[in-house]
Amino acid sequence: MKRRLDIPLIATLSILGFFVFIPMVSAFEFSIRTPLKGGYGWDNYIWAVTEEEFVHYILRSGWLAAATVVITLLILVPTLTWLHLSQSKIRPFIDGLSLLPLVIPVVAFAVGAQISFPELMQNTVLELPFLYFVLALPYAYRSLDIGLSSIPLKTITEAARSAGANWSRTITAVIIPVIRGSVMATVALTFALSLGEYTLTVLLHWDTFPTWVTYVAQDNILGAIAISMMSLILPFAILTGLTLLMPERSSQGGK
Amino acid sequence: MGFKSIGEGASTRGRAFLTFSPRSFLPAIPFLLIFGYFFLFPISRLVYVAFLSNEHTLTLSNFVTAFKEPYKTGFINSIKIGLLSAAITAIPGALAAYFIETRGPSKLRRTIAVMSGVLANTGGIPLAFMFTAAIGLQGRLTKILKAAGWDIYAGHFSLGTFTGLLIVYLYFQLPLMVIVFSPAIVSLRKEWIEAARNLGANQFNYWIRIGIPLLFPSFIASFLLLFASGFSAYATANALTVGNLPLTPLQIGGLLDGNVSAQQLNLGKALGVVMILISAMAVVPYLVLQRRAAKWQQR
Amino acid sequence: MRAKRLVAALASAALLVGIVAIATPAQAAINICKAKNVKEAGGLDNLVAAAKKEGKLALITTPRDWANYGAIFDAYEKAFGVKITVDYPDGSSQYEIDTMKTAPKSKQPDSIDIGPLVVAQLTPPGGTPMSSPYQVINWKDIPAAAKDASGLWFGNYGGKLAIVYNTALTPAPTKASDFTNPAYKGYVGITGDPTSSNQAFMSVLAASLGNGGEKNLSDVTKGLALFKAVKAQAPLVKVNATNLGGGTARVGFMWDFNALGIIPAAKAAGLDLKFVYPSDYVLQAPPYINAINVKSPNCANARLWQEFVYSQNKGKTAAQLTAADLKLSGSKLFAKMQGGQNYFMQSGADPIMSKAMEKKNLLVDSLLDFKVPSTAKVVGPPTISDVLAAREQIISSWASL
Repeated sequence: MKRRLDIPLIATLSILGFFVFIPMVSAFEFSIRTPLKGGYGWDNYIWAVTEEEFVHYILRSGWLAAATVVITLLILVPTLTWLHLSQSKIRPFIDGLSLLPLVIPVVAFAVGAQISFPELMQNTVLELPFLYFVLALPYAYRSLDIGLSSIPLKTITEAARSAGANWSRTITAVIIPVIRGSVMATVALTFALSLGEYTLTVLLHWDTFPTWVTYVAQDNILGAIAISMMSLILPFAILTGLTLLMPERSSQGGK
Repeated sequence: MGFKSIGEGASTRGRAFLTFSPRSFLPAIPFLLIFGYFFLFPISRLVYVAFLSNEHTLTLSNFVTAFKEPYKTGFINSIKIGLLSAAITAIPGALAAYFIETRGPSKLRRTIAVMSGVLANTGGIPLAFMFTAAIGLQGRLTKILKAAGWDIYAGHFSLGTFTGLLIVYLYFQLPLMVIVFSPAIVSLRKEWIEAARNLGANQFNYWIRIGIPLLFPSFIASFLLLFASGFSAYATANALTVGNLPLTPLQIGGLLDGNVSAQQLNLGKALGVVMILISAMAVVPYLVLQRRAAKWQQR
Repeated sequence: MRAKRLVAALASAALLVGIVAIATPAQAAINICKAKNVKEAGGLDNLVAAAKKEGKLALITTPRDWANYGAIFDAYEKAFGVKITVDYPDGSSQYEIDTMKTAPKSKQPDSIDIGPLVVAQLTPPGGTPMSSPYQVINWKDIPAAAKDASGLWFGNYGGKLAIVYNTALTPAPTKASDFTNPAYKGYVGITGDPTSSNQAFMSVLAASLGNGGEKNLSDVTKGLALFKAVKAQAPLVKVNATNLGGGTARVGFMWDFNALGIIPAAKAAGLDLKFVYPSDYVLQAPPYINAINVKSPNCANARLWQEFVYSQNKGKTAAQLTAADLKLSGSKLFAKMQGGQNYFMQSGADPIMSKAMEKKNLLVDSLLDFKVPSTAKVVGPPTISDVLAAREQIISSWASL
């Protein structure tokens, strides 16, 4: 591999970085303003974390997002593994289905949910992780699909099966670690989507972290921006950190 | 568990659906059940109700209204913003994906994948906050530009206009392009460029005759997906405008959550159905193009 | 013989007492969900006890910074140990009606606060009413024109529309027609969609007054024309606390009773807001309206809430309530607390019972520091038929303005 400075790559990353971080940094600067005292300070953040409902709502949205991730992986990994291995004719059909949620505006979906689900379903907050799963599906499906395409799936599975593993061990102990890059990406986007989901949540009359932030914004706009910043930057930082800390997998043939 | 043994594989040629046996689909059942109940079921009800009048009779009147003003302008604006946000980010996104995937070390690639996943999902109020803080009236960047001599608010610009919203949309469209197009880059095997070079082709020829033609279908497919995304974006537009920039998702939102009233009760649902049809017109070609590209992208 | 008769008499008396004792509690088995006034709910003490047991009150589209509701919430929660939740505080009056129609039982609000814009939908002709009838303790102090005779809905507090503006705006606006000043380009807006939001609707009406339409309150074409002229310069912005605090919205109509909530919030974000009444015509709007949802999940709190909101008492606010106060029985505690009507008064709203309270010398002072200028003429309130006629005009033309 060439070791000299890769100008095009650095240029690309710089431009992207500029584009991505300017709004974030600006909002961060807004959030550390303290107009009542003049200058800057952490007041808004301190206020945010000491708000009694902050922890409540973070935990609530946090576990809803975690539940969504679990549901997504539980359903998609086995299904996609099977689709890849069996070359089933139903695969194009399911590929197409997975894109449908992109085609439906969230608002319309929310109203469809409002007018279709029975009282029992609408009374439990457990309907949300399943609905978030649907919203995340186009991205999660693709991400895992790509991951599975880029490994020698047949070989690995045959090896594991002939070593005596049953299907669930094969999937959890062999396949998932091999595609952990794309699993991480899937976890990241599913978690981010669920944590920030607002429209569907409001229309179904639930209150979660994003709806609480909007509520708070009325009384204390700077506080709301601080909260928003935390909810963006923290998952970002944590997920990126986890990805960086994950050991390299040794590449076996192919790219 | 009902998996076929690995040695066999059903032939993927042709659409011989009639020869399927239901048992071979067993593993797909959990997915189909959950997806069917939580998605297909509400959407079908939505479609059904779109054909109902205020008196609960079947009618096309909701659709007739959906094509009149102001909804017609709404569709035009939404299609415009979808096309433009896709067009502007398609090539930069493709280039970024190319450089990152071909030259970036593995750790970088994975980090970018994760970051793109989070960024592609930013929207709504957090995104509105970020851009208001950056290029809003009091924004940091606004002030810097003004000091440098360029007052972006001298004309009609504001974040709530079409242009302003378009700029904000680029923020999540670009990462989306990177996510969606990267697999195509990854599938361009190094062996091919080597083979081409051995046959006497230089970089330029490689690209003109091999690289670009191979990437083109995936590129168009990604563009179409970006269009669907920009076309149906709702939360961000809702956070930045007040119902005076006609955009179909906003119009639907207002009608459906009770913040806007109209004479026909099911108008919002009809607008939703039309949106589905327009998005489908983008997504179906996407699927066709992807399937063809997948043939050479398979390992 | 005498002993036997005595025993018989005693036994009969005991039986009689027993029957009465059994019969009386049966009469006292109260169904609070059907109670139409505090007596049918078993008295104020019983109502408070039942409310405390329920522990929850579900409200809808009622922001804390609206007409001093934040202070009312705090007092109610502290005194009765009840948790108040608010569904979608930023929503419109129409959203409240739609939620009552479509939401599952666990998401239904107990009490609603809607504008006259949508109140007719509570009693659909030929259908069952969407609200439960209830008459508060001082029912007679609510003017007849502001309530439904059987208690299905009742006016709560009213306001006048004032102009809110960012002091950085020069020249400062003084009336509606100033909105088209090119110096304000891009900063003028409205609080919501006037087809469903009462405040936005009244803003269009107020604009109509300031643009030559003061003679006919059922015709808002002049108001629509004013907003159209503003829009021709730059799109309308959403005038809410967030945007006022962020500086993207700088001038628009807002309820005077929201001043005390909005100004400090903006100040905390570093911005200076001011409220003034238009110098030509000031719209006195019809009152907002309360009703108890027929699907209310917390019946006792739904009713106790009305009693509290319509209480005329002078008294202690949340911060002033002591631990000893909280141990008092329901009605005694209630008597010590400042009533909702006075909280509204402090915000600058006009409590619906103000005339009666003035006679009884129960009104506290309004904390608003701006007054209707002597040059201005107060117009209104429009009648329900005015409102409905104007609404039709807006529904057909607002979207394509």
